Amino acid sequence: MSGMDLKAVNERYKMFASFTEDVDDGAGFIFSAKDNLTSKDFETTAGSRILKGYNPPFDATPIKKMREAGGFLCGKTNMDEFGFGTFSTNSAFGIPKNPFDLNRSCGGSSGGSACAAAVLEDHVSLGVSTGGSIVCPASFCGVYGLAPSYGRVSRYGLIDYGNSLDKVGLLSFRASDLRKYLPIISGKDVHDPTSCVQPELELGKRKIKAVAVPEEAVKGEGISKDVMGSFEASLESLKSMGIDVEYVSMPTLKYSIPAYYVIATSEASTNLARYCGMRYGQQEGDLTLKFDDYFTSFRSQYFGDEAKRRILLGTFTRMVGYADRYYNKALQVREAIISDYKKQFERFDAVVTPTMPFISPRFDDISKMSALDSYKADFLTVPPNITGMPHISMPCGYSEGMPIGLMFTSDHWNEDVLIDMAERWDSAFEVKHAEVKA
Amino acid sequence: MKIGLEIHVQLPTKSKMFCSCPTTGAERANTHVCPVCLGLPGSKPSLNRKALELGLTIAKKLGCSIPDTTWFSRKTYFYPDLCKHFQITQYDTPVGLGGVFYLGSKPIRITRVHLEEDPGKTKRVGDGSSLVDYNRSGIPLVEIVTEPDISSPSEAREFLSALLTEIRHTIDLQDDGERSVRCDCNISVGKERCEVKNVTGLKNVEACLKYEAVRQMKILKAGGKIERETRHFDEERKVTIGARKKEFEADYGYIGEPDLGIYHIAKMAEGIRLRESPLDMIARFRRDYGLEEKSAKQIVNTSMKMAELFEELVKVSDVQTALSWTIGTVAANWKSFEERDGDTAEIKAIIGRFYRKEITDTECNIELKALMTDKTVEETEAGSSDLDALIDEAIDENPAVLEDYRKNEKAANRIIGTVMKKTGGKYSSSDIVAATKRLIEKRL
Repeated sequence: MSGMDLKAVNERYKMFASFTEDVDDGAGFIFSAKDNLTSKDFETTAGSRILKGYNPPFDATPIKKMREAGGFLCGKTNMDEFGFGTFSTNSAFGIPKNPFDLNRSCGGSSGGSACAAAVLEDHVSLGVSTGGSIVCPASFCGVYGLAPSYGRVSRYGLIDYGNSLDKVGLLSFRASDLRKYLPIISGKDVHDPTSCVQPELELGKRKIKAVAVPEEAVKGEGISKDVMGSFEASLESLKSMGIDVEYVSMPTLKYSIPAYYVIATSEASTNLARYCGMRYGQQEGDLTLKFDDYFTSFRSQYFGDEAKRRILLGTFTRMVGYADRYYNKALQVREAIISDYKKQFERFDAVVTPTMPFISPRFDDISKMSALDSYKADFLTVPPNITGMPHISMPCGYSEGMPIGLMFTSDHWNEDVLIDMAERWDSAFEVKHAEVKA
Repeated sequence: MKIGLEIHVQLPTKSKMFCSCPTTGAERANTHVCPVCLGLPGSKPSLNRKALELGLTIAKKLGCSIPDTTWFSRKTYFYPDLCKHFQITQYDTPVGLGGVFYLGSKPIRITRVHLEEDPGKTKRVGDGSSLVDYNRSGIPLVEIVTEPDISSPSEAREFLSALLTEIRHTIDLQDDGERSVRCDCNISVGKERCEVKNVTGLKNVEACLKYEAVRQMKILKAGGKIERETRHFDEERKVTIGARKKEFEADYGYIGEPDLGIYHIAKMAEGIRLRESPLDMIARFRRDYGLEEKSAKQIVNTSMKMAELFEELVKVSDVQTALSWTIGTVAANWKSFEERDGDTAEIKAIIGRFYRKEITDTECNIELKALMTDKTVEETEAGSSDLDALIDEAIDENPAVLEDYRKNEKAANRIIGTVMKKTGGKYSSSDIVAATKRLIEKRL
């Protein structure tokens, strides 16, 4: 792949916020990274105008590790501002277009990464998930997306959305890339204390033998007919592979979305407090104003609407008189959802659902959605994300030419069975390439 | 009158609270900084273990109850010196709760002790703008909060002075002036209290409280009511100024710091051995060795290390021997010895040999002095024997001094003064004092 190819491809799909035309073809491998991971030689903007011009003096640890393993970072991928979104439409620098249909979304918030993985030959992309931002775009773009356990990959250098929820992971067209790259980016990092409690990553040969399907997720109105059809066919395929499939009840799942949005926005509202130009990023501001007036007008001007919405929401949920009812309560609900999963993992190796409740929507349909509508679209991906359990999406079907994803969630630290499942699935299922026209 | 203080002390760690930047010796502004203490997007904190240990040590010293687990919190507010616009502090799990500090016999109750990071420093630059220096950003602080048990501005100053002396010895904090101690002062003359934020140093604390007390009394005398408010202290004019009235109380929206975990500190706290405080040591020397208060204070206040040496010397000789050498030759030469990080075991060896009569007291004096001033025995002998001869001469000329000395040690001053005049600065005054006392006592 050459730099010229990248340029042409990006013209068409807009997956990159920045990229280099000087690609090192002699490198061990070529990778891209979501633009909320700091990189020394590319501007890092996390999809936000407020960070335009931020040139970090350090590489995020996952990028550093990939480089040390012989990888060449060819570009930073487009994303929803700070990770706030399900369709990558909240990006200030270009909305990535679905390679299967340019009028549809790549999903989000790692939309650019999923697109790069789907379109570029021999390419792996580092994505980030908070509430589903790796598996959602993986599902919409028809690629494999692995979100490791929370704490498996160092978050040092990741521009924070929700510190207790963010995970760095992998997107690739090839299932074999997961086994290859997960050990490279995993491991304890003294710069990120939350990465220091993990047990050693062991990618052995443990296999999934039995899976649970939560009724609350799949019965009911939420999932479109074509996705359900694909999902049920996939369950049959699993059975024919010798895997037991059983329907179970997981009554706490319905609390995932409210608990998630309370925790995520509470943390995000503190993480985003620092942005006011001055020290880095966007510098166009009137420094003659008093500080209060300065930062108020600056942030009003340079944050996108969704960022403002989440800051307001997350500030409210932390306020005296409300914190117990919302933030502290949400933390307790998270514990309850974790228990619900742990109970299933006593008998099953994984919990299985479709990844997203519909195929990728058209951009004009997205513009008609309310904020709440798009939050609700996350109801399948949020549960494993709020519990911090590793989960993976694999392409399992196509409808109207658009990919559909199948999602497996395993217990904390058990990435091995997910990777094994992906490899097994990959040898049985024919994953379609999007047609790439230069 | 009720006064309560919130005291911030910078902890003497090599590195900052959450990163490896050095805490001292910055030559220019913004040179001891890194992505973490600048709050650059993507950076994360990593706790300095030593800071946690020192915080626990202070909590233990103040008799606080220490929880089994502790964690950190985010306190969010917008100010240019706080680069993340939140401060990592401790809200609901301070490392110490409910202690006490005795000022003489009066107990001052300690509400809580907790750890937090210092913000940067703002400097006004004349044209109405300010510059920010982040060298201070991230330096570890311990915050000690007292109940309103203090009764006057001068008592507040006494309390701070005593508390800081204890803390300095407990955690080996150098006394480099008053800069690294800041207080928020709460004072009420009537029912309502006012807070004066960020007052630096003991003198300013007393001045600020004095001013506030008078201001509040004036209002009450005139029949008015004190409004609860936050004020600032103007160091130049020595007055407190009301801050701009805010419509709402600051809501810091505390959440637990999710980038740092939960710390299990019971074992660490248990393993902390507290150093004896100077006051305790003086009391113990009087009790165990029968020393007079004056001697005990003289030894302990010269140096804790020298006081520890005194005890070692008692072991190889006896109290009287150890005492006279310690307050004599050892004290006289202590400063140069300590500057060179001398080994007290060598002093102990010399005194041991003197006690066993292997060397004379003159020889002992020479050897000690040579060791402690890093000169050879020959050099020291030469200097000292001259001095001894002069002193002996002066005593011979003034035999009444010996009898007077028995009644009052100050009689030696006559000899000391004479010799000092004669030698005109050739010998250090401490040498002359030590040698004079030794030679007088030798004759008695």
